[in-house]
Amino acid sequence: MDPRSFPLVIVVGSGGVGKTTLAAALGLASASAGRDTLVMTFDPSQRLKDALGVDAVAAEQETEVPLPAAGRLCASLLDARITFDRLIERYAPDQEARERILRNRFYDNLSGHLAGVLEYMASERLFEVARDGAHERIILDTPPTRQALDFLGAPERIVSFLDSGALRIALKPWFDAGGQLRATSHLGALGRNVEGFFDRMVGLELLRDMAEFFQAFSPLYDGFRERAVEVQRLLRAPGTLFVLVSAPGRQRVADTLFFARRLTEAGYRLGPVVINRVHPAFPAAGSGTSSLDEAAHDGRELLHWLGKRDRESVSALQSLLGGSRPLVEVPLLPDEPTDLESLSALGVMLGERLDDALGS
Amino acid sequence: MGVLQALEQRQMLVVTGKGGVGKTTIAAVLGRRLAARGRKVLLLDVDPRESLHHLLDVPPSGGEVVTVAPRLQLQHLDPRRLLDDLVREKLKVGVLVRRVLSSPVHQHFTEGAPGLKETAVFGRALRLIEGHVPRGMVRPDVVILDAPATGHSVAWLAAPRLISEVISSGPIGHMATVIADFMADRVRFGIVVVTAAEEMPVQESLELIDLLDERLQRMPDLVVVNSVYPPLVEESDADDPVGALWAHRRGLNDRELGRLDEHWHGSTAELPLLPLEPGPPLITALADHLEQACERS
Repeated sequence: MDPRSFPLVIVVGSGGVGKTTLAAALGLASASAGRDTLVMTFDPSQRLKDALGVDAVAAEQETEVPLPAAGRLCASLLDARITFDRLIERYAPDQEARERILRNRFYDNLSGHLAGVLEYMASERLFEVARDGAHERIILDTPPTRQALDFLGAPERIVSFLDSGALRIALKPWFDAGGQLRATSHLGALGRNVEGFFDRMVGLELLRDMAEFFQAFSPLYDGFRERAVEVQRLLRAPGTLFVLVSAPGRQRVADTLFFARRLTEAGYRLGPVVINRVHPAFPAAGSGTSSLDEAAHDGRELLHWLGKRDRESVSALQSLLGGSRPLVEVPLLPDEPTDLESLSALGVMLGERLDDALGS
Repeated sequence: MGVLQALEQRQMLVVTGKGGVGKTTIAAVLGRRLAARGRKVLLLDVDPRESLHHLLDVPPSGGEVVTVAPRLQLQHLDPRRLLDDLVREKLKVGVLVRRVLSSPVHQHFTEGAPGLKETAVFGRALRLIEGHVPRGMVRPDVVILDAPATGHSVAWLAAPRLISEVISSGPIGHMATVIADFMADRVRFGIVVVTAAEEMPVQESLELIDLLDERLQRMPDLVVVNSVYPPLVEESDADDPVGALWAHRRGLNDRELGRLDEHWHGSTAELPLLPLEPGPPLITALADHLEQACERS
């Protein structure tokens, strides 16, 4: 099969390994190879935004990257709050319901601060753009968290939440006309105790906010469930490829093995593993017996050690991943790419290596 | 007063920073250093995948207290379990406890309510400082909290304040208010930001410092710049690729250190990139470098 044919490429890996830069580079290479491509990314550095020629507007809508050559590349920056607000704008049944949710204090706190919301919203956005079908290829950079798997699990968590009794309870009118909590009244004395407990613990005020939030939100639930199921299908579709990015060093190798195992166990199609920023191997500088203190002052000794460490990381990762999983090396670049040209060069190199690995 | 002397006064230190810069390493280094200076230190690990113990060569905590050295202990906390403990403690009656713990409302509420788990972690740390310690634990003079490696570190630090504003009554609201007040105390509570002398980490640290100021009216006690290349000792030669790479990497470090210096006027400690994998020898070596760097700063 043609490895370039994946319509959805998801770049995953722990924080600080260079996922975002590699995702942007792959996007550029894909666009210049003639595919209409969209790169969706979180938290790009200012420099990367400058390189792509996009600004805050890209958080609101897809922005076309001005390419010097042929091809079309769009970039989209993910912002949880904006996506959440837009979801409500779009799916709330009427103006009043919309206003009620947007005004709700619980929503205000939830959408801005809850960590899982970002991951969930990313999958919502992915669903939107995949359904629109405006691009031949989507490259998705995942959120900057060590628990990158949160992103993948987000739709399932929503479905489990919707299927659990929590929603039924939450949607039950909690307060009667007199503003008294009545959700637990049928439990009799025990219910009053439980109710009293919640009241003492968090206060009725918050419960009232939550109940109102869930009620205002209820017309949106069916859509949530449908989309969550769709996103799961999309993530496991044959045309979806996961690219796991790693970096040298013992801890990174351990993290990468953990991710690789979790991804395959969860039934995702994991492609090659990329080990990024591999130092060149240099011959030993001096006697090779310098002390730690000397090495702390001698960049040559240090670089020699880094080169050696990275070679060891590559072979450790390769043997631990097993023969069937190809490993792709990306050398340390003197500088992080700062313009379209250098990003594109990186993308072409990575694309070719991925193709080779997938073809072999 | 030197930075380390100031850090010694704190009862709680949060170590925060972008993933991949060595935040957990620096938490361990600070623990070692403060313990060596005579403080009784407890390191708290809240990463679901325990990692601190690797650095100190002790078995994983799994929730138990692990003694690393005479004045250095380690514990892993599961925020979810802390909340369940809170229910047990407040509700007391077995049947009610089971009822609440198994209720989907409780499960989704504790999973989903913003800031609750974070507040529970700070709450536990504060109780330990106040002397409510489990069997086998030495009452710590200082608790060092290794913040989770996420992009939401300010949200994490601001959680108790948020909770105290949203929940104004009841024990959780009260606890959140106590914690928020504690975190506003510049003598008892401190923040250490870890970064690397590279573009993204420096940029994020500067943004983090601004946000701390804006949302918590706090500044870090110390910014640790980790993994800096050694200063150059010679002119680089065009035919020498090793020397050229050294010069280039150090040049990049200098540029970013300069940018940090321009925007951040508090204490900074530069730590060298050392030819050691994360583990006890690295922690010991960096602890010495930290002492020296703090004297210089």
